[in-house]
Amino acid sequence: MKYILTCILLFSISRASELAIGSVMPEVNHKMLGINGNKLSLKDVKGEKGTLVIFSCNTCPWVIKWEDRYVSISESYSSKGISVIGVNSNVARFGGDDSLDKMGEHATKKGYNFPYVQDSGAKLAKAFGATKTPHIYLFDTSDRLVYRGAIDDNARDAGSVDEHFLSNAIEELIADQPISKPISKAIGCSIKFN
Amino acid sequence: MSIQSCTKVELIPSTSNQIMSRIKALSGEKAVLLNIWALWCVPCVEEFPMIVDLGNSYNDLEVVFVSADFDDQIIEVESFLKQHGVDSISYIKSEKDEPFITGIHPDWTGSLPFTVVYAKNSGNIVDSWEGKHSRLRFKAAVDRALES
Repeated sequence: MKYILTCILLFSISRASELAIGSVMPEVNHKMLGINGNKLSLKDVKGEKGTLVIFSCNTCPWVIKWEDRYVSISESYSSKGISVIGVNSNVARFGGDDSLDKMGEHATKKGYNFPYVQDSGAKLAKAFGATKTPHIYLFDTSDRLVYRGAIDDNARDAGSVDEHFLSNAIEELIADQPISKPISKAIGCSIKFN
Repeated sequence: MSIQSCTKVELIPSTSNQIMSRIKALSGEKAVLLNIWALWCVPCVEEFPMIVDLGNSYNDLEVVFVSADFDDQIIEVESFLKQHGVDSISYIKSEKDEPFITGIHPDWTGSLPFTVVYAKNSGNIVDSWEGKHSRLRFKAAVDRALES
């Protein structure tokens, strides 16, 4: 019994440690299959000014509420050197709702203007300490983490947002200013690791 | 008459401060199992009946359910609680995500479900975890909470 409890505890702790601000982007060479059939790593999509990694999926209601802002943020900042990649780590659902085909359908329906890839073995999510969807990580040109957390403070209504956490962080990153709020939190769906 | 139709549901919109005050007030009287869930969260709904059953099997355990659904889903949440025979006071989140998450537990990332178990005597946190877990995990934490 003690062994089982110890295993449970260690498992829990290993899942709980999120990538610290200032950490170097992990698993940059992990190739992930995208909806267009190509394999991409974070190294392949690195932006001139920064790289935005969005852990997401096809069905989470919190993703559905927020994903219009994935598209608008990508549209606003891709021309300013920020690259965006959507990462689906729901391994347990790769045979169902988060299959590559359904990811492709979802991306088309929602007008995704960035690569959307499957994280085999949830290797990236585990390395990042990502726990939920959406879960946002922004890196600078040196591949150092400068921001993690939520897109903003109002999933339900983009027009009623008080704090644009991610946009503010991107603006500060582009302007070479310190990130005034490097961490934020929001509720999301658990990543289905297994 | 079914058990469900006899159940009186009380669902209170609350901030994290109000929920933590309720939990603190139970210190010295009962161990507490706090479970934060949502109707749209499949793992939450899957483990929910097990938690209700576990709560019913201990006299000195108070199970506090907190729904993280949007406030326009109160009727659906009440219906779900009634359907599962929850007859204690339950809560639904009434503040923005960030202050709510931080106020409940500083290490919580916001992933659902989220569970915290508090000791009966000291009121200290015995264990906490994100995601769906087995009855074994829940029971082990509750047993420790009742001893400390």
